[in-house]
Amino acid sequence: MTDMNRIWRDGLWDNNPGLVQLLGLCPLLAVSNTAVNGLGLGLATLIVLVASSVLVSALRNTWRPETRIPAFVLIIASTVTAIDLSMQAWLHELSRSLGIFVPLIVTNCTILARAEAFASRQPVGSSLVDALAQGTGFAAVLVVLGAGREMVGRGTLLDGAEMLFGDSAAGWSIPVLPFEQGLLLAVLPPGAFIGLGLLVAGRQYLVNRSREAGVKSRPAPSTADPTTP
Amino acid sequence: MKESSTLAPALAVFAGLGLVAALLLAGLNALTEERITDERRNHALRAVSAMLLAGSYDNDLLDTAEPIEIRGLEEATTYTSRLSGSATALVFDIVTANGYSGDIRLLVAVSAEGVVLGSRILEHRETPGLGDRIERDKSDWLAQFDGKSLGRPPAEEWAPDRRGGAFDTVTSATISSSAVVDAIKRVLLTFESRGDVLLRETQAK
Repeated sequence: MTDMNRIWRDGLWDNNPGLVQLLGLCPLLAVSNTAVNGLGLGLATLIVLVASSVLVSALRNTWRPETRIPAFVLIIASTVTAIDLSMQAWLHELSRSLGIFVPLIVTNCTILARAEAFASRQPVGSSLVDALAQGTGFAAVLVVLGAGREMVGRGTLLDGAEMLFGDSAAGWSIPVLPFEQGLLLAVLPPGAFIGLGLLVAGRQYLVNRSREAGVKSRPAPSTADPTTP
Repeated sequence: MKESSTLAPALAVFAGLGLVAALLLAGLNALTEERITDERRNHALRAVSAMLLAGSYDNDLLDTAEPIEIRGLEEATTYTSRLSGSATALVFDIVTANGYSGDIRLLVAVSAEGVVLGSRILEHRETPGLGDRIERDKSDWLAQFDGKSLGRPPAEEWAPDRRGGAFDTVTSATISSSAVVDAIKRVLLTFESRGDVLLRETQAK
Protein backbone atom coordinates (compact mmCIF):
# COMPACT_ATOMS: atom_id res chain seq x y z
CA MET A 1 0.00 0.00 0.00
CA THR A 2 2.87 2.37 0.79
CA ASP A 3 3.99 1.69 -2.76
CA MET A 4 0.76 3.13 -4.08
CA ASN A 5 1.08 6.13 -1.78
CA ARG A 6 4.58 6.68 -3.08
CA ILE A 7 3.28 6.62 -6.68
CA TRP A 8 0.55 9.13 -5.86
CA ARG A 9 2.99 11.41 -4.05
CA ASP A 10 5.38 11.22 -7.00
CA GLY A 11 2.74 12.17 -9.55
CA LEU A 12 1.14 14.96 -7.58
CA TRP A 13 4.16 16.55 -5.91
CA ASP A 14 7.62 14.96 -5.72
CA ASN A 15 7.89 14.17 -9.43
CA ASN A 16 5.04 16.21 -10.89
CA PRO A 17 5.19 16.08 -14.72
CA GLY A 18 4.51 19.81 -15.09
CA LEU A 19 6.48 21.28 -12.19
CA VAL A 20 9.41 18.88 -11.74
CA GLN A 21 9.90 16.83 -14.90
CA LEU A 22 8.83 19.88 -16.96
CA LEU A 23 7.31 17.55 -19.57
CA GLY A 24 4.47 18.41 -21.94
CA LEU A 25 5.21 22.11 -21.72
CA CYS A 26 3.86 22.90 -25.18
CA PRO A 27 0.20 22.15 -24.37
CA LEU A 28 0.70 23.24 -20.78
CA LEU A 29 1.76 26.73 -21.80
CA ALA A 30 -0.50 27.11 -24.82
CA VAL A 31 -3.84 26.03 -23.39
CA SER A 32 -3.59 27.33 -19.83
CA ASN A 33 -5.21 30.69 -20.64
CA THR A 34 -8.43 29.86 -18.80
CA ALA A 35 -9.27 27.41 -16.02
CA VAL A 36 -11.87 25.60 -18.16
CA ASN A 37 -9.50 25.14 -21.10
CA GLY A 38 -6.88 23.83 -18.67
CA LEU A 39 -9.33 21.40 -17.10
CA GLY A 40 -10.56 20.21 -20.51
CA LEU A 41 -7.09 19.43 -21.83
CA GLY A 42 -6.02 18.07 -18.43
CA LEU A 43 -8.88 15.55 -18.41
CA ALA A 44 -8.29 14.56 -22.03
CA THR A 45 -4.60 13.99 -21.29
CA LEU A 46 -5.46 12.00 -18.15
CA ILE A 47 -7.77 9.67 -20.10
CA VAL A 48 -5.16 9.11 -22.81
CA LEU A 49 -2.48 8.47 -20.20
CA VAL A 50 -4.59 5.93 -18.31
CA ALA A 51 -5.62 4.06 -21.46
CA SER A 52 -2.12 3.94 -22.93
CA SER A 53 -0.41 2.96 -19.64
CA VAL A 54 -2.85 0.11 -18.98
CA LEU A 55 -2.46 -1.22 -22.53
CA VAL A 56 1.33 -0.94 -22.51
CA SER A 57 1.48 -2.64 -19.12
CA ALA A 58 -0.92 -5.44 -20.08
CA LEU A 59 1.20 -6.28 -23.11
CA ARG A 60 4.54 -5.69 -21.36
CA ASN A 61 5.79 -9.27 -21.79
CA THR A 62 5.50 -9.13 -25.56
CA TRP A 63 7.61 -5.99 -26.16
CA ARG A 64 10.97 -6.22 -27.88
CA PRO A 65 13.33 -3.27 -28.32
CA GLU A 66 12.61 -3.22 -32.08
CA THR A 67 8.84 -2.93 -31.77
CA ARG A 68 8.45 -1.22 -28.42
CA ILE A 69 8.48 2.48 -29.36
CA PRO A 70 6.41 2.10 -32.58
CA ALA A 71 3.87 0.06 -30.64
CA PHE A 72 3.68 2.69 -27.87
CA VAL A 73 3.17 5.44 -30.42
CA LEU A 74 0.49 3.36 -32.14
CA ILE A 75 -1.36 2.86 -28.85
CA ILE A 76 -1.06 6.51 -27.84
CA ALA A 77 -2.08 7.83 -31.27
CA SER A 78 -5.13 5.53 -31.41
CA THR A 79 -6.26 6.60 -27.94
CA VAL A 80 -5.84 10.27 -28.82
CA THR A 81 -7.80 9.85 -32.05
CA ALA A 82 -10.60 8.18 -30.10
CA ILE A 83 -10.66 11.03 -27.55
CA ASP A 84 -10.56 13.64 -30.31
CA LEU A 85 -13.51 12.09 -32.18
CA SER A 86 -15.50 11.73 -28.96
CA MET A 87 -14.86 15.33 -27.96
CA GLN A 88 -15.88 16.61 -31.39
CA ALA A 89 -19.10 14.65 -31.10
CA TRP A 90 -20.07 15.27 -27.48
CA LEU A 91 -18.07 18.33 -26.33
CA HIS A 92 -18.05 20.23 -29.60
CA GLU A 93 -17.58 23.77 -28.28
CA LEU A 94 -14.75 22.72 -26.00
CA SER A 95 -12.96 20.87 -28.78
CA ARG A 96 -13.21 24.03 -30.88
CA SER A 97 -11.80 26.06 -28.05
CA LEU A 98 -8.87 23.66 -27.51
CA GLY A 99 -8.30 23.44 -31.25
CA ILE A 100 -5.20 21.63 -32.42
CA PHE A 101 -4.06 20.78 -28.87
CA VAL A 102 -6.30 17.72 -28.51
CA PRO A 103 -4.73 15.91 -31.52
CA LEU A 104 -1.36 17.16 -30.29
CA ILE A 105 -1.72 15.17 -27.04
CA VAL A 106 0.07 12.50 -29.13
CA THR A 107 3.24 14.54 -28.81
CA ASN A 108 2.94 15.10 -25.06
CA CYS A 109 6.16 13.53 -23.80
CA THR A 110 4.62 12.77 -20.40
CA ILE A 111 2.59 9.98 -21.98
CA LEU A 112 5.45 8.30 -23.84
CA ALA A 113 7.70 8.82 -20.82
CA ARG A 114 5.28 7.03 -18.48
CA ALA A 115 4.80 4.21 -20.99
CA GLU A 116 8.54 3.77 -21.37
CA ALA A 117 9.75 4.42 -17.82
CA PHE A 118 6.93 2.91 -15.82
CA ALA A 119 4.14 0.99 -17.55
CA SER A 120 6.40 -1.22 -19.68
CA ARG A 121 8.05 -2.65 -16.52
CA GLN A 122 5.25 -2.66 -13.95
CA PRO A 123 2.07 -4.69 -13.41
CA VAL A 124 -1.25 -3.30 -14.63
CA GLY A 125 -2.40 -2.20 -11.16
CA SER A 126 0.61 -0.01 -10.42
CA SER A 127 0.62 1.33 -13.98
CA LEU A 128 -3.01 2.37 -13.64
CA VAL A 129 -2.30 4.18 -10.37
CA ASP A 130 0.81 5.78 -11.84
CA ALA A 131 -1.14 7.04 -14.87
CA LEU A 132 -3.88 8.41 -12.62
CA ALA A 133 -1.35 10.12 -10.37
CA GLN A 134 0.76 11.60 -13.16
CA GLY A 135 -2.31 12.63 -15.15
CA THR A 136 -3.93 14.25 -12.14
CA GLY A 137 -0.68 16.03 -11.34
CA PHE A 138 -0.48 17.37 -14.90
CA ALA A 139 -4.15 18.39 -14.95
CA ALA A 140 -3.79 20.11 -11.58
CA VAL A 141 -0.93 22.25 -12.87
CA LEU A 142 -2.97 23.10 -15.99
CA VAL A 143 -5.99 24.14 -13.93
CA VAL A 144 -4.00 26.16 -11.37
CA LEU A 145 -1.99 27.92 -14.08
CA GLY A 146 -5.16 28.47 -16.16
CA ALA A 147 -7.09 29.84 -13.18
CA GLY A 148 -4.23 32.17 -12.25
CA ARG A 149 -3.81 33.51 -15.77
CA GLU A 150 -7.55 33.90 -16.22
CA MET A 151 -7.94 35.81 -12.95
CA VAL A 152 -5.04 38.16 -13.54
CA GLY A 153 -5.56 38.55 -17.28
CA ARG A 154 -9.34 38.69 -17.56
CA GLY A 155 -10.58 39.15 -14.01
CA THR A 156 -12.87 36.12 -14.23
CA LEU A 157 -12.82 32.51 -13.11
CA LEU A 158 -14.48 29.51 -14.81
CA ASP A 159 -15.49 31.57 -17.85
CA GLY A 160 -16.84 29.25 -20.55
CA ALA A 161 -17.72 26.44 -18.12
CA GLU A 162 -20.75 25.59 -20.29
CA MET A 163 -18.36 24.17 -22.92
CA LEU A 164 -17.41 21.38 -20.49
CA PHE A 165 -20.38 21.02 -18.16
CA GLY A 166 -23.34 21.82 -20.42
CA ASP A 167 -25.68 24.80 -20.62
CA SER A 168 -26.54 24.71 -16.92
CA ALA A 169 -23.00 25.89 -16.20
CA ALA A 170 -23.31 29.05 -18.29
CA GLY A 171 -23.57 31.21 -15.17
CA TRP A 172 -20.56 29.73 -13.39
CA SER A 173 -18.24 32.47 -14.53
CA ILE A 174 -17.18 34.38 -11.41
CA PRO A 175 -15.98 37.98 -11.75
CA VAL A 176 -13.02 37.87 -9.37
CA LEU A 177 -11.34 41.19 -9.97
CA PRO A 178 -13.30 44.37 -10.58
CA PHE A 179 -11.53 45.62 -13.70
CA GLU A 180 -12.91 45.27 -17.20
CA GLN A 181 -9.50 44.80 -18.80
CA GLY A 182 -7.06 42.62 -16.85
CA LEU A 183 -3.30 42.54 -17.01
CA LEU A 184 -2.85 41.70 -20.66
CA LEU A 185 0.54 40.03 -20.17
CA ALA A 186 -1.00 37.16 -18.22
CA VAL A 187 -3.13 35.99 -21.17
CA LEU A 188 -0.34 36.35 -23.72
CA PRO A 189 2.32 33.62 -24.11
CA PRO A 190 4.88 35.31 -21.82
CA GLY A 191 2.31 35.14 -19.03
CA ALA A 192 2.32 31.35 -19.37
CA PHE A 193 6.09 31.17 -18.88
CA ILE A 194 6.06 33.63 -15.98
CA GLY A 195 3.11 31.84 -14.36
CA LEU A 196 4.76 28.43 -14.68
CA GLY A 197 8.01 29.89 -13.34
CA LEU A 198 6.19 31.22 -10.29
CA LEU A 199 4.54 27.83 -9.71
CA VAL A 200 7.89 26.01 -9.96
CA ALA A 201 9.47 28.56 -7.62
CA GLY A 202 6.55 28.30 -5.19
CA ARG A 203 6.85 24.51 -5.09
CA GLN A 204 10.61 24.77 -4.56
CA TYR A 205 10.07 27.24 -1.71
CA LEU A 206 7.70 24.82 0.04
CA VAL A 207 10.09 21.90 -0.47
CA ASN A 208 13.03 23.88 0.92
CA ARG A 209 11.04 25.10 3.89
CA SER A 210 9.88 21.64 4.87
CA ARG A 211 13.46 20.38 4.45
CA GLU A 212 14.79 23.16 6.69
CA ALA A 213 12.12 22.45 9.26
CA GLY A 214 13.19 18.81 9.22
CA VAL A 215 16.84 19.81 9.69
CA LYS A 216 16.12 22.20 12.58
CA SER A 217 14.37 19.53 14.58
CA ARG A 218 17.58 17.52 14.57
CA PRO A 219 20.82 18.71 16.29
CA ALA A 220 22.25 21.80 14.57
CA PRO A 221 24.33 20.77 11.56
CA SER A 222 28.02 21.57 11.69
CA THR A 223 27.96 23.65 8.51
CA ALA A 224 25.70 26.19 10.22
CA ASP A 225 28.59 27.25 12.45
CA PRO A 226 31.61 28.60 10.53
CA THR A 227 34.00 28.23 13.53
CA THR A 228 33.81 24.47 13.59
CA PRO A 229 35.80 22.59 10.96
CA MET B 1 18.45 -17.02 -37.00
CA LYS B 2 17.57 -17.12 -33.32
CA GLU B 3 17.16 -13.37 -33.44
CA SER B 4 14.45 -13.51 -36.09
CA SER B 5 12.57 -16.30 -34.36
CA THR B 6 12.21 -14.17 -31.23
CA LEU B 7 11.31 -11.07 -33.19
CA ALA B 8 8.41 -12.74 -34.97
CA PRO B 9 5.98 -12.86 -32.02
CA ALA B 10 6.69 -9.22 -31.20
CA LEU B 11 5.96 -8.26 -34.79
CA ALA B 12 2.78 -10.32 -34.69
CA VAL B 13 1.64 -8.46 -31.58
CA PHE B 14 2.48 -5.17 -33.25
CA ALA B 15 0.54 -6.08 -36.38
CA GLY B 16 -2.39 -7.34 -34.32
CA LEU B 17 -2.37 -4.13 -32.33
CA GLY B 18 -2.51 -2.11 -35.52
CA LEU B 19 -5.40 -4.18 -36.82
CA VAL B 20 -7.38 -3.88 -33.57
CA ALA B 21 -6.71 -0.14 -33.39
CA ALA B 22 -7.86 0.34 -36.98
CA LEU B 23 -11.05 -1.63 -36.39
CA LEU B 24 -11.90 0.16 -33.15
CA LEU B 25 -11.25 3.59 -34.64
CA ALA B 26 -13.29 2.77 -37.74
CA GLY B 27 -16.14 1.73 -35.45
CA LEU B 28 -15.89 4.89 -33.38
CA ASN B 29 -15.73 6.99 -36.53
CA ALA B 30 -18.91 5.40 -37.84
CA LEU B 31 -20.53 6.00 -34.46
CA THR B 32 -19.59 9.67 -34.18
CA GLU B 33 -19.56 10.77 -37.82
CA GLU B 34 -23.19 11.79 -38.01
CA ARG B 35 -23.10 13.57 -34.68
CA ILE B 36 -19.97 15.52 -35.57
CA THR B 37 -21.53 16.65 -38.86
CA ASP B 38 -24.65 17.70 -36.95
CA GLU B 39 -22.62 19.59 -34.37
CA ARG B 40 -20.67 21.44 -37.07
CA ARG B 41 -23.91 22.33 -38.81
CA ASN B 42 -25.49 23.49 -35.57
CA HIS B 43 -22.45 25.58 -34.78
CA ALA B 44 -22.72 27.36 -38.14
CA LEU B 45 -26.50 27.67 -37.85
CA ARG B 46 -26.30 29.15 -34.35
CA ALA B 47 -23.87 31.80 -35.55
CA VAL B 48 -25.96 32.76 -38.61
CA SER B 49 -29.36 32.69 -36.89
CA ALA B 50 -28.02 34.81 -34.02
CA MET B 51 -27.82 37.62 -36.60
CA LEU B 52 -31.56 37.57 -37.22
CA LEU B 53 -34.61 38.15 -35.07
CA ALA B 54 -36.45 34.96 -34.20
CA GLY B 55 -39.64 34.88 -36.24
CA SER B 56 -38.22 37.03 -39.04
CA TYR B 57 -37.63 33.91 -41.15
CA ASP B 58 -39.09 30.44 -41.57
CA ASN B 59 -36.65 28.76 -43.94
CA ASP B 60 -33.61 26.54 -43.43
CA LEU B 61 -30.80 29.12 -43.47
CA LEU B 62 -27.98 26.67 -44.16
CA ASP B 63 -29.73 25.45 -47.31
CA THR B 64 -29.44 28.94 -48.80
CA ALA B 65 -25.64 29.10 -48.49
CA GLU B 66 -24.25 30.59 -51.70
CA PRO B 67 -20.59 31.48 -52.28
CA ILE B 68 -20.10 34.85 -53.99
CA GLU B 69 -17.21 37.04 -55.10
CA ILE B 70 -16.66 40.37 -53.37
CA ARG B 71 -13.76 42.53 -54.49
CA GLY B 72 -11.24 43.10 -51.71
CA LEU B 73 -12.47 40.22 -49.55
CA GLU B 74 -10.93 36.77 -49.38
CA GLU B 75 -14.07 34.69 -49.11
CA ALA B 76 -17.75 35.43 -48.97
CA THR B 77 -20.85 33.32 -48.53
CA THR B 78 -24.42 34.56 -48.31
CA TYR B 79 -27.35 33.11 -46.45
CA THR B 80 -30.86 34.31 -47.24
CA SER B 81 -33.60 34.49 -44.66
CA ARG B 82 -37.15 34.23 -45.98
CA LEU B 83 -40.55 34.65 -44.40
CA SER B 84 -43.32 32.83 -46.25
CA GLY B 85 -41.31 32.90 -49.46
CA SER B 86 -40.11 36.50 -49.62
CA ALA B 87 -36.53 37.39 -48.71
CA THR B 88 -36.20 39.46 -45.54
CA ALA B 89 -32.44 39.66 -45.14
CA LEU B 90 -29.04 38.47 -46.34
CA VAL B 91 -26.36 37.27 -43.95
CA PHE B 92 -22.83 37.63 -45.35
CA ASP B 93 -20.12 35.36 -43.99
CA ILE B 94 -16.93 37.14 -45.05
CA VAL B 95 -13.18 36.98 -44.54
CA THR B 96 -10.95 40.05 -44.79
CA ALA B 97 -7.17 39.82 -44.97
CA ASN B 98 -6.64 43.41 -43.79
CA GLY B 99 -6.46 42.66 -40.07
CA TYR B 100 -3.44 43.50 -37.98
CA SER B 101 -2.35 39.86 -37.71
CA GLY B 102 -4.07 37.67 -40.23
CA ASP B 103 -7.58 37.09 -41.43
CA ILE B 104 -10.69 38.33 -39.68
CA ARG B 105 -13.87 36.36 -40.32
CA LEU B 106 -17.19 38.04 -39.60
CA LEU B 107 -20.91 37.80 -40.20
CA VAL B 108 -22.88 40.81 -41.38
CA ALA B 109 -26.67 40.74 -41.65
CA VAL B 110 -28.20 43.18 -44.12
CA SER B 111 -31.96 43.77 -44.39
CA ALA B 112 -33.75 43.73 -47.74
CA GLU B 113 -33.60 47.55 -47.58
CA GLY B 114 -29.79 47.54 -47.30
CA VAL B 115 -29.55 48.39 -43.59
CA VAL B 116 -27.07 46.58 -41.32
CA LEU B 117 -29.09 44.45 -38.90
CA GLY B 118 -26.14 43.15 -36.96
CA SER B 119 -22.58 41.93 -37.21
CA ARG B 120 -20.36 39.54 -35.32
CA ILE B 121 -16.69 38.58 -35.41
CA LEU B 122 -16.30 34.81 -35.80
CA GLU B 123 -12.53 34.34 -36.00
CA HIS B 124 -9.56 36.64 -35.70
CA ARG B 125 -6.00 36.75 -34.44
CA GLU B 126 -5.87 40.41 -33.39
CA THR B 127 -3.86 41.35 -30.30
CA PRO B 128 -5.60 40.23 -27.08
CA GLY B 129 -6.56 43.28 -25.05
CA LEU B 130 -6.24 45.71 -27.95
CA GLY B 131 -7.50 44.55 -31.34
CA ASP B 132 -9.72 41.87 -29.87
CA ARG B 133 -12.08 44.57 -28.63
CA ILE B 134 -13.67 44.45 -32.06
CA GLU B 135 -15.43 41.34 -30.65
CA ARG B 136 -18.90 41.86 -29.32
CA ASP B 137 -18.11 40.03 -26.09
CA LYS B 138 -15.27 42.39 -25.31
CA SER B 139 -16.79 45.80 -26.10
CA ASP B 140 -19.76 47.53 -27.70
CA TRP B 141 -17.69 48.77 -30.60
CA LEU B 142 -19.28 46.48 -33.19
CA ALA B 143 -22.80 47.63 -32.20
CA GLN B 144 -22.24 51.06 -33.77
CA PHE B 145 -22.87 49.56 -37.23
CA ASP B 146 -26.39 48.39 -36.39
CA GLY B 147 -28.94 50.45 -38.30
CA LYS B 148 -26.31 51.99 -40.57
CA SER B 149 -26.46 51.86 -44.35
CA LEU B 150 -24.51 53.22 -47.32
CA GLY B 151 -26.43 56.52 -47.27
CA ARG B 152 -26.17 56.95 -43.52
CA PRO B 153 -23.26 57.77 -43.26
CA PRO B 154 -22.31 58.38 -46.93
CA ALA B 155 -19.92 55.85 -48.51
CA GLU B 156 -16.85 58.10 -48.27
CA GLU B 157 -17.28 58.37 -44.50
CA TRP B 158 -17.20 54.60 -44.00
CA ALA B 159 -13.91 54.58 -42.11
CA PRO B 160 -12.81 54.78 -38.46
CA ASP B 161 -12.60 58.38 -37.14
CA ARG B 162 -8.85 58.00 -36.70
CA ARG B 163 -8.80 57.90 -40.49
CA GLY B 164 -11.30 60.68 -41.00
CA GLY B 165 -14.42 58.54 -41.10
CA ALA B 166 -17.66 58.56 -39.16
CA PHE B 167 -17.08 55.53 -36.94
CA ASP B 168 -15.37 55.14 -33.56
CA THR B 169 -11.92 53.58 -33.58
CA VAL B 170 -10.92 50.88 -31.13
CA THR B 171 -8.21 52.55 -29.04
CA SER B 172 -4.73 51.54 -30.25
CA ALA B 173 -6.22 49.30 -32.93
CA THR B 174 -6.77 51.50 -35.96
CA ILE B 175 -5.81 48.73 -38.38
CA SER B 176 -8.22 46.21 -36.84
CA SER B 177 -11.00 48.82 -36.76
CA SER B 178 -10.34 49.87 -40.31
CA ALA B 179 -10.38 46.27 -41.57
CA VAL B 180 -13.83 45.67 -40.08
CA VAL B 181 -15.33 48.97 -41.25
CA ASP B 182 -13.95 48.38 -44.73
CA ALA B 183 -15.29 44.81 -44.84
CA ILE B 184 -18.80 45.93 -43.85
CA LYS B 185 -18.64 48.74 -46.39
CA ARG B 186 -17.73 46.27 -49.12
CA VAL B 187 -20.69 44.11 -48.14
CA LEU B 188 -23.01 47.11 -48.43
CA LEU B 189 -21.50 48.13 -51.79
CA THR B 190 -22.08 44.60 -53.04
CA PHE B 191 -25.62 44.71 -51.75
CA GLU B 192 -26.20 48.05 -53.50
CA SER B 193 -24.98 46.86 -56.88
CA ARG B 194 -26.08 43.22 -56.78
CA GLY B 195 -28.57 42.98 -53.91
CA ASP B 196 -31.64 42.62 -56.10
CA VAL B 197 -30.03 39.81 -58.02
CA LEU B 198 -28.81 38.09 -54.85
CA LEU B 199 -32.21 38.22 -53.21
CA ARG B 200 -34.01 37.09 -56.37
CA GLU B 201 -31.53 34.35 -57.22
CA THR B 202 -31.81 32.66 -53.88
CA GLN B 203 -35.56 33.11 -53.95
CA ALA B 204 -35.91 31.34 -57.26
CA LYS B 205 -34.24 28.23 -55.90
